[in-house]
Amino acid sequence: MSDDDMGGSGDEDYYNDYYSDGHDPDVETLDKTLQDPEYFEFQCLTDTEVERFINERVEELSTSIQVTPSLAKVLLLMCQWNLSEIVSSYRADAHRLLIQCQVKPSMPANNNNTSMVSANLVSATNTSNRSTTNTPFPSNVGLMSSTSMEKAGDCVTLCSSSSKSECSSRDVVCGSNAIIQQESDVKECCCPVCLCAMKPSESSQLSCCHRFCNSCWSTYFDVEITQGITTRIECMSSHCEVLAPEDFVVPLLPRTRVREKYHQFAFADYVRSHPELRFCPGPNCTIVVRAKDNKPKRVICEACNTQFCFACGCDYHLPTSCETIRRWLTKCADDSETANYISAHTKDCPKCHICIEKNGGCNHMQCYNCKHEFCWMCLGCWRSHGSEYYECSRYKENPNIAHESVHAQAREALKKYLHYYERWENHSKSLKLECQTLNAIRTRIHAKVMAGTGTWIDWQYLLDAATLLARCRYTLQNTYPFAYFLAPGPRKDLFEYQQAQLEAEIENLSWKIERAEMTDRGDLENQMDIVEKRRTTLLTDFQP
Amino acid sequence: MSNIAAQRIQREFNEVIKSDEAQKFSIKLEMDGSDFRHINGEIAGPPDTPYESGNFKLEIKIPDTYPFNPPKVKFLTKIWHPNVSSVTGAICLDILKDQWAAAMTLRVVLLSLQALLAAAEPDDPQDAVVANQYKENRALFTSTARYWTTVHAGGKQLNPDFDKKIHTLLDLGVEKHQALVALSACDWNLDRALEQIFS
Repeated sequence: MSDDDMGGSGDEDYYNDYYSDGHDPDVETLDKTLQDPEYFEFQCLTDTEVERFINERVEELSTSIQVTPSLAKVLLLMCQWNLSEIVSSYRADAHRLLIQCQVKPSMPANNNNTSMVSANLVSATNTSNRSTTNTPFPSNVGLMSSTSMEKAGDCVTLCSSSSKSECSSRDVVCGSNAIIQQESDVKECCCPVCLCAMKPSESSQLSCCHRFCNSCWSTYFDVEITQGITTRIECMSSHCEVLAPEDFVVPLLPRTRVREKYHQFAFADYVRSHPELRFCPGPNCTIVVRAKDNKPKRVICEACNTQFCFACGCDYHLPTSCETIRRWLTKCADDSETANYISAHTKDCPKCHICIEKNGGCNHMQCYNCKHEFCWMCLGCWRSHGSEYYECSRYKENPNIAHESVHAQAREALKKYLHYYERWENHSKSLKLECQTLNAIRTRIHAKVMAGTGTWIDWQYLLDAATLLARCRYTLQNTYPFAYFLAPGPRKDLFEYQQAQLEAEIENLSWKIERAEMTDRGDLENQMDIVEKRRTTLLTDFQP
Repeated sequence: MSNIAAQRIQREFNEVIKSDEAQKFSIKLEMDGSDFRHINGEIAGPPDTPYESGNFKLEIKIPDTYPFNPPKVKFLTKIWHPNVSSVTGAICLDILKDQWAAAMTLRVVLLSLQALLAAAEPDDPQDAVVANQYKENRALFTSTARYWTTVHAGGKQLNPDFDKKIHTLLDLGVEKHQALVALSACDWNLDRALEQIFS
């Protein structure tokens, strides 16, 4: 989030700070998005704030199209919280939207599922006459008006629990079809689930008019909630997809523990379905990150400091896209055995053949035995790496591969994969080792400050350099999956050229940091600036 | 909860026994001892299909949460069908998974399985080898399925050509079912089947 004030402390910033006392917000935002391709606006919300955010949306929809909050929640969940689209399609064709969102049955309702138990039912008297609704139905009302043409006084019930009903004749309207059931008929009917006789006062139905006894409903909800299903509980009838909304489910839950579970799981469903929200993946972290754009950008949790990609919730991975990194990680998981075998932890010095274990993050190695300088990746002499063209990160494809046998092609494919995997894995190890370097720097600074050589602020640049190094190496690591899946061509050539440049500068920086006491501060800060510019250029040129 | 399950199973048994299908011997249910959680079912192969005149035994396990969760059903009789594993008898059918509804009954399950035998869904396969044969070589699939019905489910249609090939493998010391599986999977190509068995 605050990347921008790290690296590019150019003259302009200085100029602005010096001459203007207040800062111009427009210039600021413009600068941030232009200068830093990783800039991303987001907020960290606690669960109370998220709940308020969700409830505001629900409230907004519920007032704008006159439906109960419970129904509004179903609509929002089914339409990915696209409020304006819901309102417009509701105004255009409410009936269709309600069917699409599984609020109403797609087929005109009839009670065929009760026929199984040979109930004596006078069922499904279709009537287009809406005047049957003129006895107001005294139970919970889902829709305050079923179409925009209807008068505000008409009621359509989407779910009803007749326990509240005192009427002797019941009118239940489903869509445009009204089904009239005489209570005396309902009395004799059996619940199709437990096959026991049910009293109308102890049974309920959704808008599809499939009636079941309350005890079966609660057992059913109990089973579903235990399996983690809350917002997607469907009617118990076969092939009926009507969803049970919150205000239908919750009153039928007998135990408070299950009720709590319902709210907890439903809340998670709402957050997961909302494109602007994402749970922080940090262990035991309850923070929800909110960002207006659903983009694969880095977010950092304020509570637990976990960094992750906002779009997929996995580890941050720019310049590689979410889909590519997923493919890469699956591939790595599949092929790791071979790769593990190849990427052993030690290598022999190419000159004196002494066994060397890598103890720092830098790939620029110096054998402590013979002082030979070489590259850890390719074991080549380091001098050839120092020049402007660093080739070590580039994989050279065999140009005659199309003419080779299947076996040779398979070997070549594995070789290519291992080339990228080794580098990916190596940078990941280097990151860990550089973490140790960072701690070592901290102790050294502490010792120096205690000994009176400079103040803590004097040595701060070393910490900054180490943090920058980690950030750059992280980006570099994530360039390998991108390069692996990139089709050959000029774009790939350009990418690999930039990648090689970045890699060379990073190793240079790492080398300088590990020998910080011998390096000049100006030299180091210059290197930091170069590395960050290379990284920013690569990220800007290869946005997913 | 298992109270509802027991009650339901009892009623469903009666429903199946009284049903028209049971009268015509097309579906059958039997309790495994006195435990309502283990039921044996049987369906007749539908007419005009390769499964005609075969009787297929099913194992039905009732979970404690029945009828809110589906019964676990698999074929005990070996069958050559895209949606049934030729090895384990596991079934890929939507109503036994996410499309199950508490209002469905064992009778519905048995009838749906019968319908599945009549109309396979090769795009949603349980057994990839069978599904592939169903799509690529329908005639060979039909005769293979018919042969399996004869061998395992008491079907009456014979196939001397397949018999001969099986015998060739039996003479080489291959076990009978292994020979049948290998030949069926290799489109009744003896050389390929041999390679598969002995490699």
